[in-house]
Amino acid sequence: MGGYGDMQMIDENGLRVDGRSPGDIRDITIETGVIPVADGSCRMTWGTNEAIVAVYGPMEAHPRKIQRQDRAVLDVAYNMAPFSTTDRMRPGFNRRSREISKVTKDALESVVLLELYPRSKIRVTIEIVSAEAGTRCVGLTAASVALADAGIPMTDLVVSVASGKINDVVVCDLNKEEDNYGEADLPMGILPNSGELVFLQMDGDLSQEEFKEAWQYNMDAAQVVHKMMVEALKRGDSQ
Amino acid sequence: MTIPIVPKLLRAHLSGLAGKNARIDGRSQWEGRKIEVEHSVLPRAEGSARVRMGDTIVLAGAKFQLMQPYPDRPNQGGLMCSADVRPIAGRHWEAGPPSPEAIELGRVVDRGIRESGCIDVDSLCIIPGEKAWQVILDLFAVSDDGNLFDAFALAGIVALRNATLPAERFEVGEDYPLPVSKTPIMCSYHKVGGRFVYDACAREELGGDERIHITLGDDDNVHSLQKGLKGIFSAEEFSEIMTNAQGRTKELRKIVDSL
Repeated sequence: MGGYGDMQMIDENGLRVDGRSPGDIRDITIETGVIPVADGSCRMTWGTNEAIVAVYGPMEAHPRKIQRQDRAVLDVAYNMAPFSTTDRMRPGFNRRSREISKVTKDALESVVLLELYPRSKIRVTIEIVSAEAGTRCVGLTAASVALADAGIPMTDLVVSVASGKINDVVVCDLNKEEDNYGEADLPMGILPNSGELVFLQMDGDLSQEEFKEAWQYNMDAAQVVHKMMVEALKRGDSQ
Repeated sequence: MTIPIVPKLLRAHLSGLAGKNARIDGRSQWEGRKIEVEHSVLPRAEGSARVRMGDTIVLAGAKFQLMQPYPDRPNQGGLMCSADVRPIAGRHWEAGPPSPEAIELGRVVDRGIRESGCIDVDSLCIIPGEKAWQVILDLFAVSDDGNLFDAFALAGIVALRNATLPAERFEVGEDYPLPVSKTPIMCSYHKVGGRFVYDACAREELGGDERIHITLGDDDNVHSLQKGLKGIFSAEEFSEIMTNAQGRTKELRKIVDSL
């Protein structure tokens, strides 16, 4: 968190820099079947974030040493394209993308019924082609839609949203400026049907009350986004 | 990139089709797939394009940064073109540093754009010997159903033609459009079933032999050539595809000019 506490990010009417109320999320579009050669895919725009996700598999896991006798292995890679950021991003893995790949994998492994596909591999590739703030949330959410599009059995979809704090006001779904100058960021991965969590991170400074408020914002937003995910999947199916 | 096992049946099938002057997806020998081109599709890039050719989909994004001119060319800026085919684009593409195939893709597209002179590198110089613009064109494959070369080249030139130099952000004056004076266009041909075809799909690439890439400029001038993969071709074969490329590049240039 940048922690520029004196930067005015909430106006006298309680509105944010992009005109949203504290509980509002940015505009979202979801499309499935966007990669013709993949088994499942999803393109999701969230504000000016754009993630494209491909799912390949279940397929043969090779080399054989990575195979698991009792379940499929999930191979998850998160990456930001070089043109996704204001200053060009040097291609290749870095510590940040490795960590996000790992926590995204941990989240998805919690819902995918891997035991149905022993000795095989399911590959999930998340590419951020335009980044604003909250790309890990967009990537994880889009990945669960792409897995559903591929027909991979899961216990639930995963909706990932982040809330945070700016000028001592708790707000939902931070945009770029808010992410840069805000005081806290709480991304969560929520199972919309049960309200359980498969992904949780946080950094910054929140009181216990603020934390509860941010948590609730994420829970409420998850229900809104979940409806759009289901609609997109139904739309994709009818095409 | 893992090399898929080439099924003998596919090769035999392709060669049977070639004997009947047919192709695996029903096209004729010189027929391209349906093309869709959009520009300004990436909010963070200073110039961008999305190209779809059949089920092949690519993105191109142009970014700019300031550089110190090279000592032997103090009055010139720089142009760099790089391609990456990540595992998103197909099951046979694997993670890791760019494969030789991806590097070849980037370099062949780079040569076509660079050698056509469509970007005047002298105009990219801000202070001789001290400060100049570097144009970085990143090519990104979303879906590989064959012929990434032509899709990349087309997306690349469209992204450059729609690029704006972010001078205000770098505090070196006002933003202005990148001057692009020419439109180099690449056409690629694959040997499939013993004869060359234009715009091969993934199955034709898998069961085919060598490929030839030709980049022609506005006046039909040749700007880059590349022969890839194992195979032998004759002067007559080359002359035939060169003639075809002259017609096809004109059609594609019309699409680019109409955007």
